[in-house]
Amino acid sequence: MEKKKYGKQRDDHIVVLIGMIAAVLILMAFLKGKTYYSLSNLRSMIFQFPEFGILAFGMMVCMIAGGIDLSLVGIMNLAGVVAAIMIKNGSPIFLGVLVAVLIGAACGAFNGFLIGFLNIPAMLVTLCGLEVYAGLSLAITGGPAVNALPDSFKSIANGSMGPIPYVLFIFIIVALLVAFVMKYTTFGHEIYFLGSNKVAAKYSGINTLKVTVLTHMFSGILGGISGIVITSHLNSAKSSNGETYTLMSLLIVVLGGVNPDGGRGRVLGVTLAIILLQLISNAFTIMRAPDTMKTFVNGVLLIAALILDVALEKRNRKRM
Amino acid sequence: MANEVFLKLEGIKKSFGGVHALRGVDLEIRKGEIHCLAGENGCGKSTLIKAISGVHDVDEGKIWIEGEQVEHLHPIDAINRGVQVIYQDFAIFPNLTVAENIALNGEVKDRTKLVSWKRIHQVAEAAMEQVGARMDPDMLLEQLPVAGKQMVAICRAIINDAKLLILDEPTTALTEPEVERLFQVIRSLKDKGIAIMIVNHKLDEIYKIADRLTILRNGSFVSTGLISEYDTQRFTRDLTGHEFESKKYVPENAGEEIFRVEHLTLPGKFEDVSFAINKGDVLGITGLLGSGRGELGEALFGVTPAQSGKIFLNGEEIRIKSIDDALNNRIGYVPEDRLTQGLFMDRSIEDNTVVSSIRNYFHGLKLNESEMEEATNRWIGELSIAAPSPKPPVRTLSGGNAQKVVIAKWLNTEPRLFILNGPTVGVDIGAKAEIHAILRGLAAQGIGIIIISDDLPELFTNCNKIVVMRQGKVGVITDNSVDNIEL
Amino acid sequence: MKKGKRNSMLTSTQMILLYVIIVFCIIVGLRQPAFFSVATVINIARAAIFSACFALCEMIVIISGGIDVSFPAIGCVAMYVPMYLIDKGMGSQSAWFCFGVAILIGLGFGLFNSILIAVLDIPPLIATLATSSIASGGAVTIFGSHDYTSLPEGLQKIYNTNLITYVDPNTGFSYVLNILVLVPIIASIIVAFLLKRTMLGRGLYAIGGAKHAARVAGLNVRGLQFFAYIFSGAFTGLTAMIYTTLMKSARISALMGDEMIIIAACVIGGVRITGGHGTVSGTLLGVLLITLVQNSLNMLGIPTSWQRFVVGIIILLGTILTSWQTKRSLKAEKA
Repeated sequence: MEKKKYGKQRDDHIVVLIGMIAAVLILMAFLKGKTYYSLSNLRSMIFQFPEFGILAFGMMVCMIAGGIDLSLVGIMNLAGVVAAIMIKNGSPIFLGVLVAVLIGAACGAFNGFLIGFLNIPAMLVTLCGLEVYAGLSLAITGGPAVNALPDSFKSIANGSMGPIPYVLFIFIIVALLVAFVMKYTTFGHEIYFLGSNKVAAKYSGINTLKVTVLTHMFSGILGGISGIVITSHLNSAKSSNGETYTLMSLLIVVLGGVNPDGGRGRVLGVTLAIILLQLISNAFTIMRAPDTMKTFVNGVLLIAALILDVALEKRNRKRM
Repeated sequence: MANEVFLKLEGIKKSFGGVHALRGVDLEIRKGEIHCLAGENGCGKSTLIKAISGVHDVDEGKIWIEGEQVEHLHPIDAINRGVQVIYQDFAIFPNLTVAENIALNGEVKDRTKLVSWKRIHQVAEAAMEQVGARMDPDMLLEQLPVAGKQMVAICRAIINDAKLLILDEPTTALTEPEVERLFQVIRSLKDKGIAIMIVNHKLDEIYKIADRLTILRNGSFVSTGLISEYDTQRFTRDLTGHEFESKKYVPENAGEEIFRVEHLTLPGKFEDVSFAINKGDVLGITGLLGSGRGELGEALFGVTPAQSGKIFLNGEEIRIKSIDDALNNRIGYVPEDRLTQGLFMDRSIEDNTVVSSIRNYFHGLKLNESEMEEATNRWIGELSIAAPSPKPPVRTLSGGNAQKVVIAKWLNTEPRLFILNGPTVGVDIGAKAEIHAILRGLAAQGIGIIIISDDLPELFTNCNKIVVMRQGKVGVITDNSVDNIEL
Repeated sequence: MKKGKRNSMLTSTQMILLYVIIVFCIIVGLRQPAFFSVATVINIARAAIFSACFALCEMIVIISGGIDVSFPAIGCVAMYVPMYLIDKGMGSQSAWFCFGVAILIGLGFGLFNSILIAVLDIPPLIATLATSSIASGGAVTIFGSHDYTSLPEGLQKIYNTNLITYVDPNTGFSYVLNILVLVPIIASIIVAFLLKRTMLGRGLYAIGGAKHAARVAGLNVRGLQFFAYIFSGAFTGLTAMIYTTLMKSARISALMGDEMIIIAACVIGGVRITGGHGTVSGTLLGVLLITLVQNSLNMLGIPTSWQRFVVGIIILLGTILTSWQTKRSLKAEKA
């Protein structure tokens, strides 16, 4: 009996997300069915979402641990800029990718250290981090974007295997990896414990500093991967790419059912939220609505998601 | 004046969704007396306070304040009639000054618009004088020790024309001199004709301060009377409903030494602490707050490690400099505050059970979920935790069952030494006995058990060795053949 | 006791900040002796006008236990819409109209924020992020994005009114300080009075320090939260119009991204991000330090492309310093 109730509470959110996805799909079938349901449109959607989707997983991990990472976009661009410069100067692509990932890890570890060791709120640290990382990439590029990268690098985010873009594989691998880490590893469980109750985590023998550093490092690595994807996708790296992605990734994780106070959230929910947002965003593009309208709708959705959560929680409390 | 009744309750009943918190309570508090309300945890003390202060509306029963019957008492009515409650968290503002904390409620009540710092200081000085407390009025509350915060809360209650002051377990977080100081203040308030009700269950403190005593058990009124009418035996019997349990724990056969500390010192907290535990021993550590009992426990678990001294486990010298060290040496620790330090309330019983031993379930590349569930089920059975499955969140469990989950968490790490700080605080009588039985069983298996507690009867029954801490030093080490110890 | 008090005053956040500012000025002055001049003072004052106003808004919100990252977006809408209306012939040229509409817009969004936070209980950071995108996304969708670079008559008049005109005897350049510099000065005095001397202000500290205790004490927690966000919104609108007047420009994205620097100024000035602590004087010092750094990096010879990084590092160090300072003061007093 208890077991059912407990399981159910979590599923509500997923059901609502699937319902919203269905609603968008049905609505678009009526409005612009032909263009929306075309292979080329599907492909164009798949090319778009992995870069911010991977970023959102980074945000998710930090938020589950009871923090937040507002510096992800900064990390993404810093990693992208350095990798782009290296690759442009002739270093092999895998080396560039590796360095991007390492930069992400280093930035994340730095964030995590300040948060865990000095006990400064994550929001403050990562907000400062954003300035530092974005400032560093600006300093490295000196202003102008790093353009005209080799075709082989470009094809990471623009090429496809048959009809399926490579980035879809990248995204799926990342999603599965994150899901695996969160569900099946000690580290993943420790993240949930840390986010649920930091003091109890300490008294249960969890090294909270280590987990905080590793969590932000994990998030930073995802930021680095995302930096490679976006740089390849735009064929250009600079300090101010994807500036809307901070809000976007926050929106995704909250919409995906991650508790802003930490301790709760699932990869499945976040993945569904990524898909939902991409569907909506693409619908706007097809309807030829301006980009700014997307920003507006994203804000409204964010609030709607939180209100929905409060309502669901209340209903569940009553049922208990 | 001393015999004039300020508050009278008759047949108070209150239930929450079928659970009877109060099943008919009578209480009479006279002006200028210090009345103690005692009862085990879950006996309905806090519900009763909330009924008196108007937070809960009672289902049945009558309330008289100063001879006038009141119905549907609202919090604001209670305050206007002079009832002031000082809860355990004091409801103070850590970021404001002493003076402001004292004066703020009055300012809000008077709907003041502009703040006169001069007036605030005057009000605060007057209140502090009345209470006999001396504090820097410009000090921020977050910079004061607990006792200071409590004084501020008392000052604040007094200036609101308190006629009845209710203190909810006021001594739990105070050191001995602070308790003395508090009692002085309470006595001086009594002399001013203020009625005082103290919730407490420590008999030695009750003897020191109270004029009369009322005992509750399971939401029902048990007895009331002058403090002189109670001796230890009657007190315990009325409190627990059992005759004093004389079956004291004695290990079946004393075995070889398991654990020993020598000259353990943490400057400012405790110094030169030495004791040993043999196989089968249950060691109790007691002492007043500030005696170093809690700090000693936290040091053995590596939270705030000792700076010097030696620790031996099974004959080998070990170093405890961090919680990691403690875990690696298989030392378990049940912290004092179960809710904030011991449990993840929103997570499942299973998660809470395996949290400290989760590494053991990581085989090959992933965690083995069915093994974790199996282990949890095993502990649910062995410790008879009342839960249908390992999946519901710990929040849904009662205090006793939740505490068993904390114990299960450590048993699952197969500890060699198990330290429990206040293991039965907030646990009902039945579960308390079960937990004691579990601990005795563990001791028999050769696990070193240390119980840190200020509940002396608990230690006398369950520990065959008792270390009494006094001002950071080992005062005395005794067996449990005694019936009382001077702390 | 007395001595201890004086000691803690000498090492308070404000004093440390003052030392840092003085040391920084000396360093810049050693490199560029021209730094010590009336012109610099006027330049810094001019540059600090908006930052000081925004920081006051942010400070009030943070003291009440929240955070507001929506003020740049609100400010942009508030400066843009009046210019848009005038451009379309739907408004008057008077300064009253411009400032009135701007304040009303700010007030409206402030109300929106406070409903999300005080009534619906949405975490402030997320709520104001949402408001930010609703405001900027909505405004561009409805009003488009145009650069207005000419001022209506009323504002032009204000633009021409200077408090101080200083002509450098060596270079012959003239430096002017607009009358609007009085706004942050007056606002600081009002806010300081409000926070220190009124129950409203003490209530803000109270809810930021202990929300539950505030409720028990009978304070109107929700009402105070409404005040914080609405005041902040309205004052943001006013500040945005000052920006337009002084910069002779109204763009829908003019202020975007400023939230970081303003929050940093508050935090460095001793406003505790967790609520309940902060003073006007500290915040103003924080603004002064950041404005100084931003405006003297050129003098120090730091290339433009490195400046964001350097500012970021300084903010980071400031944040670390304040958090360390907080911890230290708590420990020292308890012991």
